[in-house]
Amino acid sequence: MFFPVLAAVLAAPPDAPRPFEFKDGDRVVWLGGTLVEREQRYGYWEAALLAANPGKRITVRNLGWSGDTVHGEARGRFDFANAEKCFKQLIDQTLELKPTVIFVSYGTNESFEGKDGLPKFEKGLEKLLDALKPAGARVVLFPPLPFESGVPAERNADVGRYAEAVRAVAGRRGVGFIDPNAALAKELAGRPPVRLTDNGMHLTEDGYRLTAPAAVAALAPAVPELDWQKLDPLRKAVVAKNELFFHRWRPQNETYLFGFRKHEQGRNAKEVAEFDPLVAKAEDEIDKLRKALK
Amino acid sequence: MRHHLAVLLLALVPSAAFGQAKATVPDPDPELERKTFVVAPGFEVNLFAADPLLAKPIQMNWDPQGRLWVATSETYPQIKPGEKANDKVLILEDTDGDGKADKTTVFADGLLIPTGVEPGDGGAYVANSTELVHLSASKPGGKADRKKILLSGFGTEDTHHIIHTFRWGPDCHLYFNQSIYIHSHVETPHGVKRLNAGGIWRFNPDKTELDVFCRGWVNSWGHAFDKYGQSLVTDGAGGEGINHTFPGAYFMTSQGPHVQRILHGLNPGSPKYCGLEVVSGRHFPDDWQGDCITNDFRGHRVCRFKLSDDGSTFASREQVEVIKSTHPAFRPIDVKMGPDGALYIADWYNPIIQHGEVDFRDPRRDKTHGRIWRVTAKGRDLVKPPKLVGATVPELLEQLKSPEGWTRQQAKRVLKERGKDAVLPELKTWVEKLTPPSITGQPPPESERPLLEAAWVYEGIGAADPILLLKLLMAKDASVRAAGVRSLSHQAPPLAVQPEAWDKLVRDDSPRVRLEAVRALGLRKSAAGTALAVLDKPMDRVLDYALWLTVRELEPYWLPEFQAGKLTFGGDAKKLAFALNAIGNKDTVKPVLALIDGGKVPKENLHGLYLLLAQIGGPAELGRVLERAAAEQDLLKGQRAELARAVEESVRQRKVARPPALGKFRLLLISPERPARLTGARLIGLWKVEELRKDLEALARLPEAAEPAEVAAALEGIALFGDAKAKEFIAGLCDPTQKPEVRRLAVAALAGLDLPAAAAKAAEFLADARPEPELVDLYAAFLSRKAGVPALAKALAGKKLNPDVAKLGLQAVRASTLNVPELTDALTKAGDLAAARKPPTPEEVQALVADAAKGDPARGEQVYRRKELQCLACHAYGGAGGQVGPDMTSIGASAQPDYLVESLLLPNKAVKEGYNAVRVVTTDDKVHLGIKVREANGLLVLRTPEDKEVTIPVKDVAERADTKSIMPEGLTDTLTKQEFADLVAFLSTLGKVGTAYAPSKARVVRRWQVIDATGENGNLFRRTRVSAAAEPDNPFAWSPAYSLVSGDLPLAALPKFTVWKDTAEQTVLRFNLDVTTAGAARLKFNSVAGLTVYVGATPVEPKPDTTVELKAGVQTVTLLIDRSRRAEDLRVELDDAAGSPARVALVGGK
Repeated sequence: MFFPVLAAVLAAPPDAPRPFEFKDGDRVVWLGGTLVEREQRYGYWEAALLAANPGKRITVRNLGWSGDTVHGEARGRFDFANAEKCFKQLIDQTLELKPTVIFVSYGTNESFEGKDGLPKFEKGLEKLLDALKPAGARVVLFPPLPFESGVPAERNADVGRYAEAVRAVAGRRGVGFIDPNAALAKELAGRPPVRLTDNGMHLTEDGYRLTAPAAVAALAPAVPELDWQKLDPLRKAVVAKNELFFHRWRPQNETYLFGFRKHEQGRNAKEVAEFDPLVAKAEDEIDKLRKALK
Repeated sequence: MRHHLAVLLLALVPSAAFGQAKATVPDPDPELERKTFVVAPGFEVNLFAADPLLAKPIQMNWDPQGRLWVATSETYPQIKPGEKANDKVLILEDTDGDGKADKTTVFADGLLIPTGVEPGDGGAYVANSTELVHLSASKPGGKADRKKILLSGFGTEDTHHIIHTFRWGPDCHLYFNQSIYIHSHVETPHGVKRLNAGGIWRFNPDKTELDVFCRGWVNSWGHAFDKYGQSLVTDGAGGEGINHTFPGAYFMTSQGPHVQRILHGLNPGSPKYCGLEVVSGRHFPDDWQGDCITNDFRGHRVCRFKLSDDGSTFASREQVEVIKSTHPAFRPIDVKMGPDGALYIADWYNPIIQHGEVDFRDPRRDKTHGRIWRVTAKGRDLVKPPKLVGATVPELLEQLKSPEGWTRQQAKRVLKERGKDAVLPELKTWVEKLTPPSITGQPPPESERPLLEAAWVYEGIGAADPILLLKLLMAKDASVRAAGVRSLSHQAPPLAVQPEAWDKLVRDDSPRVRLEAVRALGLRKSAAGTALAVLDKPMDRVLDYALWLTVRELEPYWLPEFQAGKLTFGGDAKKLAFALNAIGNKDTVKPVLALIDGGKVPKENLHGLYLLLAQIGGPAELGRVLERAAAEQDLLKGQRAELARAVEESVRQRKVARPPALGKFRLLLISPERPARLTGARLIGLWKVEELRKDLEALARLPEAAEPAEVAAALEGIALFGDAKAKEFIAGLCDPTQKPEVRRLAVAALAGLDLPAAAAKAAEFLADARPEPELVDLYAAFLSRKAGVPALAKALAGKKLNPDVAKLGLQAVRASTLNVPELTDALTKAGDLAAARKPPTPEEVQALVADAAKGDPARGEQVYRRKELQCLACHAYGGAGGQVGPDMTSIGASAQPDYLVESLLLPNKAVKEGYNAVRVVTTDDKVHLGIKVREANGLLVLRTPEDKEVTIPVKDVAERADTKSIMPEGLTDTLTKQEFADLVAFLSTLGKVGTAYAPSKARVVRRWQVIDATGENGNLFRRTRVSAAAEPDNPFAWSPAYSLVSGDLPLAALPKFTVWKDTAEQTVLRFNLDVTTAGAARLKFNSVAGLTVYVGATPVEPKPDTTVELKAGVQTVTLLIDRSRRAEDLRVELDDAAGSPARVALVGGK
């Protein structure tokens, strides 16, 4: 069901873009909303990315946050009403990780504001990219994915507008733009119709698996056939690493560990840093499995 | 060496070592725990399930098969690095029906602090940290191996606030809660839903439709529906008992666009309650049906409340407890009716319940135990659990007539899961067969409810039957009509309803129906006019709130129409005034003026319109308001001051310029109302009214008949001119030749103009000042300005102060919560004081805890009540007392003694949620300290340590930082060792079952006001008569007084006076009653010796059990006590009068 909608909304550009090339040792930070955040629970896209680049060490830090926008709206916590602080969170969280590559995947949530919201979105995206400049990272923009059937038609018209805006910003700034839709269309062509989401919006576990080849199609010179049985240990190692990293960067009880009640439990905040060596160890495990793929 | 090592260890890990040393971990034998239970007469308790299979239950819910699903967490409160989260969802089954679980299945593990579980749709909905997931097993009866993430983006800022309290509503939607620290941003195909504080969500998993149902509360771990679908809520960290809520309502600590006004719970002054269930079914006696059961988890009690209609809402009365216990680990936290009609209680079983206040790693935190208790009525038959899962659709529909709420709800769930196609045809037939109630005259009770259940099934299966809804709206039973309106409002897209039908509903005879109608209209864009028609019928507070909310929600639709002249609300000035007042929008100045000038507004509404004008108007309108405040004859007491204050707020917050003409403004300076005079003086300065500066200068010199407060206001006004002339004038008043009061106030005022000069004058003044409490304000003038501290410290160098004058300075420093060593040192040196106090070591705390074990709570209560300790000024007991700090009702049952000792000595160490202070520096460099009450529409409202609300425009905020507690350090410094031990003993006994300090359901008068024995009051008595104190707007000055925890008000400590020489000594007291429905109520006196009683201004013959007739509104009861005829303490209890409709509550607060 994904495919016809996609074809209608986002015709693939005539000439396929040059694939993005990773360097050995690249550190990817991945920004976005639920689509990105939920990927870390399943790990299909991330494992596919590693499998497509088995000769390079690539570490991924998933900073997806549900409900987020280019303005960092979901990240403000107690400062939710302070737009400046929300945005600063998004920038600080990213820069702190010293990324060499930044994936930016926004537009879905903003698209609910329709045509009228476009200028604000474009301006916000530009502001975000400006603020991320100090990282000196290579930036890749992703368009919002269309909804599956079952939603009003104007929904996808709006999503299409926002996808075009992302493409336009990428063009203007000369940063990477990867639209997985054409690859996805190819991938799903000839298969029996399949539903990738339950609610029309968010990929299911199967959805992530089925879209993985397309998601990484332009992230490697050549993507091998993804044998998920064979890749299962790698994918599980990715999920395990992501869980540990999640406890590191979005720990529960932040109010008491780092927030305005840190005088009460701040002494336990040191525990959170204890996740660092655990993440590093998990990263080594991924590396081992990745190298074995070669 | 060994000894040394132990000391070293203690120093390294003080809290852990300390915790071990003082651990009060009880014997975990469930039978020992059960034996401590004092159970309501006629009931008994047995153990349904316990550890080791069940550890740390958090929430439980039944499935239609009669199996109990329990969410449990051993990871709580915080995952440890290197440990894998392995929390579980268990299924408990009683397969042989003997009232004990005999089968435990681990349905799911590997979870991270699952705070909610609700079975359904082939598995269970589970709260899993940031996500709401659905877990299911691919093999029937197996362990969950499939997980669907349904919603993501819930906040986790606090693991005892993360999403919780899952419950299927009667409409088969999933309701769940989040608490105050949680910020959630959830994507749905219908847009991102955000909720940045506490509230209740309503979720339809079939369509991923998620909405905020209502907002607020600190930590609302209880939500239940009565049999008509009305929502009741309890708060595990708030003190208002049972709360009645409805769509869109805001309660305490809400965030959202309409936080200006909130609703309150039905039992203010309650301890905190967790879990909530409504009693239903044949196993329980008739007089228990519909009662609310909730848990005072701090006080080890399972409590019962009886609800009755009170206008559009309910009144709630506490009954005898279901269970009370002295067991320190009995922590009832969830409660549900079971399939057999018994009541089940989840016992989290933990001596430690604090979240942030006790170390996450405190070893006393129990990680392994947990119980489910089962309460049954002795000698009454249990209910035979119904067979639902294999039943046919018609059989299931018949179950919707069951007397057990459990059966009806589970039958609906089974029907919902059968799906629309299987259910709809049978449902239609079933509904048709139900006798239409409207044509049979008076229907028997209950005969209309099945129709309501049918409408809820329709909602569940995602279908609609407009005819059925119409039948509900025409039902004889008002509760069914009200539920019908709610069901109608759930229809999406909205059903077309004839406007006449709405007109009828908002004028329904039942206030509950009107309430639902008004709220339902909030979803209809052009409905403001229809909603306002509710004003044609009697209103009550909750209805007024509902209409206010609806009118505000609809503002984007009606205001433009109104401004374009297309909408007039039928030309009804009352409705228009309500609407304009509700939105307080500055674009409505002209219509407000037109209303005032039109002369059609009822007199009682006029004041509100002028207040609104002050809030939204420009210079000319403010001038008009002041004209009224200064010169209008026909005003009620207090209205002048209220109008003047509203103007001042506008000038400060919106910077409204001076009116073009001042008219009779000057009369404000001689207004009969003192606050109006003070405001007038400040306004002169705010507007720099040059021609009136002379008036201020005269007032600042403290002429005869003026008071220091007026001097302060005059000086503030002069300082606001901010010019050289002002500085010179004020500096002149700092001169040693001036009166000391004037001098002190002048120095403080000068601090706003010239800090170095003021500091020099302050040092000069302090050197020969007497140690009066007012000096604290002088110090505060420097402490509240950023450059004030170094300036004053510098000026004090080399000065000698009276030691007590210096001590007052240190007191001011502590109250400011600032860390200012330079000033502390300067004061210590100048006053020749000993070095400042040091924080206690863990060993010292330990020693004090040991002393407290030997303390005497009764003596401790006397210490607690001492004026100089200020405890009562900030903390309430049972809702009576200050509201700045947490209510102390059951502090001892929840807080460990070490926490109490530390909190007294180091108030900043652990601060209860909602009581953290904010320090704000405004652009004029003034520092404000207080607890945030709300922030909305660009205004920040703080509650100051003096229990006053201050409003600061957010745009004036230059700096803002969270600080800690506003409880000053050192309050207990003056206590002897024994007094301190007694105080801790008292606090740690408060709320403990089995002691004299256990919470009581009696509605005892705790908050009093008393006439001080001042000369002025005495003169007033001589000029009028003693009974004048009972009259409204009487001129006396009243001070607060509070009963002991026992409810007795000690007479010995009360002020008394003789009016005429050789007459008996008198004491005059009063208390307030909040009457929401008028009628008779009883006042029970421990003795009436020496009492004269007035209700309002009407004398009432006092008897030990006096029945009084009360009008709606806040009523005052005044007592004159002839002290020559009474020596015993006074105790007054409020009680219901048999058969009376009256709904009366005691007024609490400071």
